[in-house]
Amino acid sequence: MELLRPSSVEELDGGVFIHGGTEVVPLMQDGLLSATTLVDVRGVVPRGVNGSTIGAGTTLGELEVETGIPDALREACRLAASPQLRNMGSLGGNLLQATRCWYWRLGYNCRLHGGDRCHARDGEHREHAIFANDFCASAHPSDVAAALIALGARLRTNQRELAVEELYRLPDEGDRNTTTLGDGELILEIELPEVEASAYLKAMDRKRWSFPQVGVAVAKVGGETRIALAGVAPIPWRIARVEDLDSATPLPRTEWKLPLARALTRRALAQLG
Amino acid sequence: MARLIRTEKEVEGRFEEVWIVVEEDPLEQWPEGPREIVGKPATRKSGPERVRGEARYTADIRLAGMLQAAILRSPFAHARVKKIDLTPALALPGVRAALGPGDAHGLEEEVGYSGAAVAAVAADTFRQAQAAIDAIAIEWDELEIVLDPDEAVRREQYTADPRHYERGDVDKALARADVVVEGTYRTQSVLHNSMETHQAICEWTGDVLNVYISTQFIWGVRDAVAETLELPPDKVRVVCEFMGGGFGSKNGPDEYTFVAAELAKRTGRPVRCALTRREEHTAAGNRNATIQKIRAAAKSDGTIVAFDAEFTNAVGWSGWNAGTEGPMKMLYDVENVRTQTYGAKINTPPMKAFRAPGFVEGTFGLECIVDELAAKLDLDPLELRRRNYAVTNEGTPISSKELEECYRRAEPHWGRRHEVHSRSDAVWKRGVGMASQIWYGGGGPPSYAWVRIGSDGRATVITAMQDIGTGTRTAMAQIAAEELRLPLDMVDVALGDSSRGPYASISAGSSTLPSMGPAVRAAAADAREQIEDIAEQRGLPRDAPVHEVVDLLEDAQILGKGARGPNPTGMSVLTFGVHVVEVAVDVETGEVVVERVAAIHDVGRIINPLGASSQVEGGVIQGIGHTLSEDRLLDPETGRVLTSTLESYRMPTIADVPEIVCEFVDKPDTHLTNLGSKGLGEPPIVPVSAAIANAIRDATGAEIRELPISREEMLRALGAAKEKGRRGAPATV
Repeated sequence: MELLRPSSVEELDGGVFIHGGTEVVPLMQDGLLSATTLVDVRGVVPRGVNGSTIGAGTTLGELEVETGIPDALREACRLAASPQLRNMGSLGGNLLQATRCWYWRLGYNCRLHGGDRCHARDGEHREHAIFANDFCASAHPSDVAAALIALGARLRTNQRELAVEELYRLPDEGDRNTTTLGDGELILEIELPEVEASAYLKAMDRKRWSFPQVGVAVAKVGGETRIALAGVAPIPWRIARVEDLDSATPLPRTEWKLPLARALTRRALAQLG
Repeated sequence: MARLIRTEKEVEGRFEEVWIVVEEDPLEQWPEGPREIVGKPATRKSGPERVRGEARYTADIRLAGMLQAAILRSPFAHARVKKIDLTPALALPGVRAALGPGDAHGLEEEVGYSGAAVAAVAADTFRQAQAAIDAIAIEWDELEIVLDPDEAVRREQYTADPRHYERGDVDKALARADVVVEGTYRTQSVLHNSMETHQAICEWTGDVLNVYISTQFIWGVRDAVAETLELPPDKVRVVCEFMGGGFGSKNGPDEYTFVAAELAKRTGRPVRCALTRREEHTAAGNRNATIQKIRAAAKSDGTIVAFDAEFTNAVGWSGWNAGTEGPMKMLYDVENVRTQTYGAKINTPPMKAFRAPGFVEGTFGLECIVDELAAKLDLDPLELRRRNYAVTNEGTPISSKELEECYRRAEPHWGRRHEVHSRSDAVWKRGVGMASQIWYGGGGPPSYAWVRIGSDGRATVITAMQDIGTGTRTAMAQIAAEELRLPLDMVDVALGDSSRGPYASISAGSSTLPSMGPAVRAAAADAREQIEDIAEQRGLPRDAPVHEVVDLLEDAQILGKGARGPNPTGMSVLTFGVHVVEVAVDVETGEVVVERVAAIHDVGRIINPLGASSQVEGGVIQGIGHTLSEDRLLDPETGRVLTSTLESYRMPTIADVPEIVCEFVDKPDTHLTNLGSKGLGEPPIVPVSAAIANAIRDATGAEIRELPISREEMLRALGAAKEKGRRGAPATV
């Protein structure tokens, strides 16, 4: 295997991108990702906070103590993973995390792996989705993604600019991807709008180092209240109001997530004032 | 003089009748209370070595020329190997030998669970061995699987005969009782997750097999390996100097040991076989799940008149039928008790002993339903427990029982509940719960120790026991130092090698200290007596300082030897305790926070209060994991373990650890050995889950029926309580 260390966007030419390695290395160890060329992008991706622009290479550990960013983002970083992982994991990498669905992680030939069934739907799915779970019941693990979507953040990649929300797509028969990221596309920066108030609340099954059972990000942006949830659908999930949770389609063992999502959403909205 | 006696031996709640040679134990116990060294807090003797990384664990051992082994495991929960071809594996770089089914004990042709060992490879590196495992060509015949323990019981598919127990007339008592409560309680399967995974390195030197292994029982490994490989036991040397935890899962050798031994034989080189964390999660044992259908009945004055229960242990493909009914039989003075216990044989990974096996699970069901009785009777739960206090163990005298004293000491903690309740608000409800603990922990013979003193005035305790991380070295040194009247830092402990010391007890069943401690004291006393004799001959007082006496020894040495005496005949040796737990429950999100645990235990004399409290803290934390977050999940279709990593299998983090208050009655058991000490490894985990569940009921009215108390279970219980409240509420206008 070859490891490249480019120092500019122009030098990028294929390969599998790696930043902190907290996602790529375990996936490679598990045989879920193979690479002949690894591209260490730490010399390419900006790092640090500059006003409303955040380098995608900024670590979660750096952001959790950053006072100049909205509360929802800081909290989402603080409540994610463990200190060790937050010290390595980057903001951009966090947005591209694969699901923690155990069937996917164990390499079952599920729909996300190109197969023709969702093992979780008929099997053990207590950590899975309550929305959009018909094709694939996996739950999106990123706290940060939900926060950025609620905040109405935008991304700049080496190929385009887009809303963070547009980074995600539901997998379907024709395309099993959960992101719209193109070949060779690399997230460089995150741009935040003017945010009036925001909050992120997260339910975990222990106090630290737990992916969201349900995570709720809320933000008041330009007079609009925006809500995005983590851990409830194969991708970060937006709702307009609490009542939208009534249209969830939980599986038998994910019904418990509904009252939880309701309670957290109400609380988060109350925090906005 | 040594005597040959027939006695009942108990390990982990399992009894067998054995012939045993025991030596007299003429030493009188020390008076109650702290001594010069014993009974006072001592920091770990091996602490600095451990934190400096100098302590050599099995996982650290690298022998010259050592090969690495990997194991091929069945993906199927029940299948037979139709065809296997090892040649593609042998052709790969670095591969030195390969084994198929039947080539080593534990490699099987018919597998009964996903993760069972089938074949193995030794290679220069672990990566090469893994690659070779992947290259083995194998064809399977898949067989029918049964994962549901109830289904296994319906089919009468057991790992051991069902156990029936009955005293009194349960049906009559139920019919005449004032109050009857019933419930079905379920506990999940949890994993030991020792920091050091199961592993062994085997090396043949001549006709001697050296086994370096992470184990709780050096001598058990020696005997089992010798028997399986048909070697004289003394041709097997077993070494375990430092050990990264076992919790009951490392009581004997397993497939990894036999694989390493056979591969070492075939290659003529040392072979290491170490399980990965994922193998640890599938094939290294677990606490089996249980289903407990319980009825309890009482008179209105609070006398419990009957327990009636059916327990199903979801044992797995093999394993024993743990005593889940034990607490129900032993904890209270109840006239009528009937239990039926099934050990369901299913296509899941086999159980192994896990810190008070059976009693942890059984105490959850029992102590929850006792609190339900208290609620129904409108009686204080502590008062109800006192009213049904058992003075004997089903009629057999108990060597010492200070549970009443534990209850008395629990009062101030229990008394905090009014203040705790007052800190509740609309969202966070706070409450206090309790549960009692009963378990074994008396240890027993045979166990031996030697004490050697040289002219430098230092003493070394020599015994081929293991320190599984519980502070054994420190406690043994304290006992010897006390008896020898030496400062603690003048006493060393040499252990961990079957070729360098006498036979020593298993470190399981909370038996290390009660088995080994008396032998160490006896050896130290023997040495001290010799020193006193020499002192007398030199015209010194018998109690002259040791260094003054041994000064003249030059190369001569004082050698003391000691043995563990017998347990008291006709008596039950048991440990007791009570936990009082404070919780906060977020009634909207189902979050449960354990805020405080007061753990009060009666385990006889405490040797090292610092070591003892760290045992209790560890037990409580492990219990909190068992109660709130740990859950080994299987795919219901294939029986494969889904929670194969430490990310998906959730143990508590330090942030989940509450304030833990430890108290010990610290009263020697006057019938038990020259120390009066019982074991403490297991007791502190026993009452944790029930005490938490009872605190949740106190806080919210919700009746917990299932472990772990995940948000799903908590929200269900809160919903059910609300529903019950609605139905039960008087009609309003």
